[in-house]
Amino acid sequence: MVARGSKEWDDAGGIAAQALALQARAAPLAHADAEAWEDALGALRDAGAGGGDDGAPRRDHVLERKLERAAVVPLEIAALGADIAALAAVAGERCDGAYRADAAAAAALAAGGARAAAHLVEVNLGVQEGDERLAEARRSEQAADEAAERLLAAIR
Amino acid sequence: MSSLEALTDAELVQRCRAGDPEAWNTLVERFSRYVYAICVKGFRLKEEDAEDVFQDVFTRVYTHLDKLRDDAAVRPWIAQLTRRLCLDAIARGSREQPALEHDVEESSDDFAEIDEAFAVREAVTTLGDACQEILDRFFAQDQSYRTISAELEIPAGTIASRIARCLRKLREELES
Repeated sequence: MVARGSKEWDDAGGIAAQALALQARAAPLAHADAEAWEDALGALRDAGAGGGDDGAPRRDHVLERKLERAAVVPLEIAALGADIAALAAVAGERCDGAYRADAAAAAALAAGGARAAAHLVEVNLGVQEGDERLAEARRSEQAADEAAERLLAAIR
Repeated sequence: MSSLEALTDAELVQRCRAGDPEAWNTLVERFSRYVYAICVKGFRLKEEDAEDVFQDVFTRVYTHLDKLRDDAAVRPWIAQLTRRLCLDAIARGSREQPALEHDVEESSDDFAEIDEAFAVREAVTTLGDACQEILDRFFAQDQSYRTISAELEIPAGTIASRIARCLRKLREELES
């Protein structure tokens, strides 16, 4: 909407096309995230029900694979949030002034999504501190935050 | 890119007519995805039927190329031939699938999409390597800006603008 509404901006069409491409990537990820989480939760319950003699939940390969999948999807969402925030920042800097606040709102929402997704990676039982996936999720979160902050600062 | 790949459709047809076997290979390669897309996406043929039509199309192109009046119109000619052979294939199987007419009508919009997709694909090849690379990574491989930035060693903050500029060139190419 921001790019399409900016008639004087030569590259507006190219920015709008990228926004549509990112939107197309987002929809299946939201579904995949819910599915992966339900799947991992089911595996955790199964592992808990079949715990060892010491009462500790049994960790097996199936559970680990499902936990890993439950971390991969939010990792992709975090990266997508960083991309959307970056694109919104570019749009906000170049668009018609009437749409700048909308671009800033999009960047802030994307940054929020990246932060939430990074948090899901962080709390995943299969991810430990020092894990590269966690570092990657935090890089995405930071990049999204910086893009949104830059744009918000510019319009205040 | 080989010298044959750089030829226009009309030039390639002329080389095929002259009996150049490499030109034939290039022609098949150039139009194979197009033919296959019409079979599978346009007419939703099963894989084995699509392969039969594919073989038949290029056999007929080979034997009837002399009948083509306008060498530059080889793509629409191949498209028309492919559609006719797809209909023949469906007609052969229509005893098992009586809903033929309805199915074909429903898929007619796909033809326009296929043609448009191939027109865009051809236009992309006229852009410079840098644009081709960045558009392919973003739109075909779904790479993130950060991945593109790292692999092409260009600042992450400039990727979206670079892609937008390449898309503007692409639009100009398509409009020209």
